[in-house]
Formats: sequence, C-alpha cells, structure tokens
Amino acid sequence: MSRVTPLALLFSFLATGLPAFAAGESHSVSPAAKALFSLGPLPVTNSMVTSWVVAFVLIVAIRLAVGRPKLVPSRGQSMVESLVEGILDLTSPIVGSKVARATFPLLVGLFIYILIQNWSGLFPGVGTIKHFDRESGQWEELIRPGNADMNGTIALSLVSFVAWLYFILRYAGPGAVLYDIFGNKADKKEIPAVIYYFMFLVFFAVGIIELISIAFRPVSLSFRLFGNVFGGENLLHAMSGLQKWGLPIPFYFLELLIGFVQALVFTLLVSVYIGLICNHGDGHEEAAHGDDHGKAKAAPAHH
Amino acid sequence: MITILAEITGSIQGALGCLAAAIGVGLIGTKAVEAVGRNPGASGKILVQSIIGMALAEAVAFYALFLGR
Repeated sequence: MSRVTPLALLFSFLATGLPAFAAGESHSVSPAAKALFSLGPLPVTNSMVTSWVVAFVLIVAIRLAVGRPKLVPSRGQSMVESLVEGILDLTSPIVGSKVARATFPLLVGLFIYILIQNWSGLFPGVGTIKHFDRESGQWEELIRPGNADMNGTIALSLVSFVAWLYFILRYAGPGAVLYDIFGNKADKKEIPAVIYYFMFLVFFAVGIIELISIAFRPVSLSFRLFGNVFGGENLLHAMSGLQKWGLPIPFYFLELLIGFVQALVFTLLVSVYIGLICNHGDGHEEAAHGDDHGKAKAAPAHH
Repeated sequence: MITILAEITGSIQGALGCLAAAIGVGLIGTKAVEAVGRNPGASGKILVQSIIGMALAEAVAFYALFLGR
C-alpha cells in the first residue's frame, strides 16, 4: 500500500460529513425508519441494513482479532478474553452458578451486539449521508443506527424473552416457575391454619399481577433501548442543525456513555429476569442452613 | 382556570413523564452516593445496582414520550 491510500481513505471518510453542512434547515428525525427495498412482502429499512453491516463487521473483526485461540494469547485474543471475562464476572452472581455458563453466550452476545450497534450511530456518515426522498420532499438520512428502529429493538426483546422462557423451563422446571409466581410462600408453622389457606387466594392474585408485569417486560426492554438510541440520534441531528462547529461534541460523548449504559442495562436486566427464577435454590438453602446453625449455636449459649 | 390551562402549549404528557423520570433518577443518585460514602468498598456493586435502577426509572419517560398518542 502506498502512502497515498490511507490519506485518501481518511479524507473520503471525513468528507462523508460534508452533507451535514448542505441542508440549511434542520428537521427532526422521523421515528419510523424509511424502507429502502422489499424482500418479498417484508420491507427492509435502512436501520436493518445498517445492523446487518455492523453485525458482519463485528463477526469479521472478532474472528480476525482472535484468529486461532492459543494457550498463550495474542494481543487481540487477550483483549477479547478480558471483555468476555468481565461480562462473566458481572453476570454470574446475578444469574446464579447453576446457569452462569449456559446463559453466558446469550448475555455476552446481547451486550456486544447492542453496544456496537449503539456506537455505530457515531460514525461519520451515519445520519449525514442523505438522499432526496420524493415522498416527504426533504433530504432523508440514508444510514441509521440499527437500534433507532423499533424493528431492531423489538427483535432483541423478543429473542431475550424466548431465551428467558427456555432457560427457566429447562433449568428451573415448570414446577419451580409456577411456585415462584403463584406459590404460597407463607410459613405454615408460624401462622394459623385459616390464614394460611386464605393466603393461597392472595398469592394467586399476586401471581396474576406478576404475569401482567412479566408480559410487559419485552415492551419495556424494547422501548427503553429504542427511546435512548432514537433520542440520541434526534439530539445529535438537532445540535448539528443548530451549530455545526463544536456544539455537537459534548453530545457525542453523551451518546457514547448512553450507548454503553443501555447495552449494559439490557444485558443486566435479562440476566436479572433469568436470575430471579433460577437463582433461588442457592439462596434458600443458604438461608435455611444459616438459620439452623444460628439456632444450634444460640441454644447452648443461652444455657 | 380554563384560560390558564389553555395557555399551556406543548406536550404536557411528555413533560410530566420526563419530570417524574428526572426526579426518580436524582433520588437514586442521591442514595447511591450516600451508600458509597458509608461503605466505599462496595462502590462497584452499588454502581451496578444504581445503573439498573436509573435505567428502569428513565424508561418511564420513554413510555410517556413514545407510547402515548
């Protein structure tokens, strides 16, 4: 490669930001992403195309960084390893030791995918390369972050929901799930029998409410991610429209932080939902053992 | 009263949602800082908990902004 090529690439990369200066007025980004073409009956939006490109780049980059995993890691491999270990240390206390290994591919995949998709909104070219859209009569952006489209976030939350169902049914079993939601958690030795049998009704009602809350989880996951990324995109467009030289810079840093936090929150919430049902076994046994030990030690001490 | 209400322009639905979210996030931040002051060694765990809490509180702002009419 000659010395000219990297310079040429750098300049053309930066030149993709020039169309931002072309449009005089700043209009806000529409919440719905524009469909570029249709695969059969399904429209494909520009966000979807961006998410495919980013996913492809991610797969290729990690494959190239790791190469063939060796016992003494190369630099790329140790970077990927430290990231992977960081996520494992973060999520394994939450989901519990039983399912930590099994849920790990899901959680690390979610985290890295959402992180890089969020940060892809900050590249030069995303949001600035515009094409003239004949319907609205304005210059619409061509490239849009993958999560700024409700399609992407609903897909992620549905995948997480199905994965959650799989993990709790496979590792905790339907009985444990039903007990956790509807089961009578009152202690039979401590309260009178009448109230104990009445508590069955109370816990059944609580279970119904909890089912509604569980059904709302995919909605909240998708809306939180969409709102943050789309809001950030809208904010960057508005700030660039207001003052192009310097005003968007702190908002780029804010968008970096928000992208990281939202990826972390999505991953942690999915792990919390799994851990709420799968992490019970250790806790109860420890508590019971602790009580027994406490009572055994206290009895001789009192006498 | 009606004339005062008519003077309010803009989306009051979004404004109330964002107001509540901001107050919620601020309260979480307050308690997190307090907890770290009491037990500086637990700051990593407190950070994780507070980020989850802040994200859950802030999500309500997005419901108000995007789920409504």
